[in-house]
Amino acid sequence: MSALAAGTPVDVLPSDGELDVPGARRQWVLRSLWRHPRGRIGCILVGVVVLAAVAGATGLTPYSALYQNTSAVLKAPSLGHPFGTDQFGRDELSFVMQGLWVTLEIACIAVAIAGTVGTIAGIVAGYLGRWTSAVIMRVTDMLFAIPAILLALAIVTALGPGWLNSALAIGVGYIPIFVRIVRGPVLSLRESAYIRAGRVLGFSPGRLLFRHILPNVSGIVAVQTTMALAWSILAEAALSFLGLGPPPPTASLGEMVSQSSSLAATAWWTLAAPSIAIVVAVIGFNLLGDGLRDAIDPRTQRH
Amino acid sequence: MLRQIGRRLLTMIVTLFGVSIIIFLILRLLPGNEVTASLGVSAGLLSHSQLAALDRYYGIGKPFYEQYASWLGSILTGNLGVSLQSRIAVASLVGAALPVTLELAIAAMIIGEVIGVGFGVLGALHPAKLVDNLGQGVSVFGLSVPTFIIGTGMVTLLASVFHYFPSSEGFVSITADPWLNIQQIFFPALTLGLGIGAAIMKSTRTAILEVVGLNFVRTARGKGLSRRVVIWKHLLLAALIPVVTMSGIQLGYLLGGTVVVEDIFVLPGLGRLLITSINDRDFAVVQSVTLIYAAGFIAVNMLTDLLYTWIDPRTRA
Repeated sequence: MSALAAGTPVDVLPSDGELDVPGARRQWVLRSLWRHPRGRIGCILVGVVVLAAVAGATGLTPYSALYQNTSAVLKAPSLGHPFGTDQFGRDELSFVMQGLWVTLEIACIAVAIAGTVGTIAGIVAGYLGRWTSAVIMRVTDMLFAIPAILLALAIVTALGPGWLNSALAIGVGYIPIFVRIVRGPVLSLRESAYIRAGRVLGFSPGRLLFRHILPNVSGIVAVQTTMALAWSILAEAALSFLGLGPPPPTASLGEMVSQSSSLAATAWWTLAAPSIAIVVAVIGFNLLGDGLRDAIDPRTQRH
Repeated sequence: MLRQIGRRLLTMIVTLFGVSIIIFLILRLLPGNEVTASLGVSAGLLSHSQLAALDRYYGIGKPFYEQYASWLGSILTGNLGVSLQSRIAVASLVGAALPVTLELAIAAMIIGEVIGVGFGVLGALHPAKLVDNLGQGVSVFGLSVPTFIIGTGMVTLLASVFHYFPSSEGFVSITADPWLNIQQIFFPALTLGLGIGAAIMKSTRTAILEVVGLNFVRTARGKGLSRRVVIWKHLLLAALIPVVTMSGIQLGYLLGGTVVVEDIFVLPGLGRLLITSINDRDFAVVQSVTLIYAAGFIAVNMLTDLLYTWIDPRTRA
C-alpha cells in the first residue's frame, strides 16, 4: 500500500509509523484476526477442516477410505472408529475426510470463478462510463432475481452432473454479490485524488484499474471470499444431497447425508458424521469472515 | 403510493423478462437438446427424416431468438408446453404442485415469524435469562445447520423414535382432510421455519435492544400505558423495519429451501416437480418451474419494498 492511497481505508489504521514497512499491513491484519475471539475460533476450525480434507485427498486417513471391512458393518463409534462404520464396513471418519476434500475442492473452484468474474465486473462497472455500468448492473440484477440454488440447479441440468459443472453452477449464482460489493467502493475511489492524478499522468485504464484500484478493494473481496466459501460448501452439499453432485465413486458430504437417510434410524452416526463435517466447515468459514472483516475495518468492531 | 406500485410493477416485469432470457439461454445454448434429452442414446437410431421431423416439432434449428419468442409467446398465453416424460400439460402439473408449495411456504413463514419475533422480543427484554439463552441456542442451531440436515434428522427421528409417518398414505390437500394435511405440512414447515426464525430472531433482538432505552418508550410507560401495550405496539412498531427486511430476505431463501424440503418429506410441490424433471431432463418443466420460482422471488422483494413505505412514511420519496 503506497502512501498515495491516503483517503482510502488505510487512514483508519493506527498511524504509529509501522505501516510504512512493506507487508506490515498484512501482518497487522493477521495479528488482529488472531486477537479477535470469533476470528481465532474461525482460524482454528478452518485449519482443522483444511488439514482433514488434505489428509483425505492424499490418503493419510486412519483407514483407506474405500476399504470395506465386512466384519465391522454399521459399528457404532468406538476408539478404533471414532465416527463408526457404514453399511459396507468403511470407516466413516476416513470416508468423511475424503468427502470433505471433494466438497472443499468444488467450493474453492466455485468461489474462484465467482470472485474473479464478479470482482472484474464490479471494478469495470464502477469505473467505466454509464453504458457499460448499466449493462453489467442490469444483468447482475437479473441473475440476482433467480434464487441462487435454483440457478445452480438449472445450470447443472443443462451441463449434466460433474465436479467442474457443479463448481460452475454454484459460482455463477454468487457472481452478483461480488459485483455489488466491489462496485460501491470503486465508484468513490474513481473520484479520489490519486486516481485522478494517475489519469492526468496518462496511465492506461487497465493499469489504473488493476494496479491502483484493485488493491484497495482487496480487503472486502477477501472477506466476501471467506463468506462465499461457507455458502458454496452449503450449496455443494445441497446439490449433491439432491443427487446432482459429482457422479460416484467421488462421494461428497451432501451425498453422504442423503445416503444416510435410510440408515440413520438404526445407525445415527452415518448421518452425524457428514453433518458435523459440513456444519464445522460452514461455521469455521463464517467466523473467519467475521474476524477478517473486523480486522480489516476496525470501525465494524463495536457491532 | 399508487404511482410507486406502478413503477415497481414495471421494473418487476422488465426484470422478469430478463430472467426469462437468462433461463432460456442456460437451458438452450448449452449442449444437448430436447430430442437427445428425451430419447437419450436411442436418438442415434433414428433416421435422418425422423430426426428432422422431431427437430421441426421442437423448433430446433430455428434461430434462438425465434425459439425464445415462441416460448415467450406461449407463456404469455398461459401455455407452458407439454412435459416430455408424462405427456401432461406443464400448466396442469404446475397447477397441482403450486398450492402445496405455497401452503408449505406460508406455514414455514408463520412458524419462522413466531419463533423469530417471539424469542427475539422476549430475549431482548430479558437478556441473559433462560428465555434469551434458549432463543440464542435455537438461533445458533438454525443458522448453522443446513435445512437438508435438519430435515433428514427430523424424518429419521419421527419415523424411528415416534413411529410417526404422516405422509405414508400420500399427500392429501387441505380441503380433503384438513387434520391430516396439517400433520403432513407441519414438520417440513418446522424444518424450514427453524432456519428462517433464527435469522429473524437475531435482527428482532438487535432492533428491540436498540429502541428499548429511547425516550418515547419511557414516556409511554410514564403516561400509564401497560407494559404489554408498550412492548407489542410501540417497541415492535419501532423495530419493525429490520424485522421486515430480514423476513423478506428469508422468504427468498425459503423458496429455494422448499426444493430440498419437499424432496426429503416427499411433498408433491413445485420443488419436487423440479427435481424429478431435472432427473428426467424434462426441459419444458424445468424452464417453467424455474421461471415461476424467480417470479415469486421478485414479487416478494417488491412486496418488501412496498411494506417499507407503508410502515415508515419517511421512505415515501
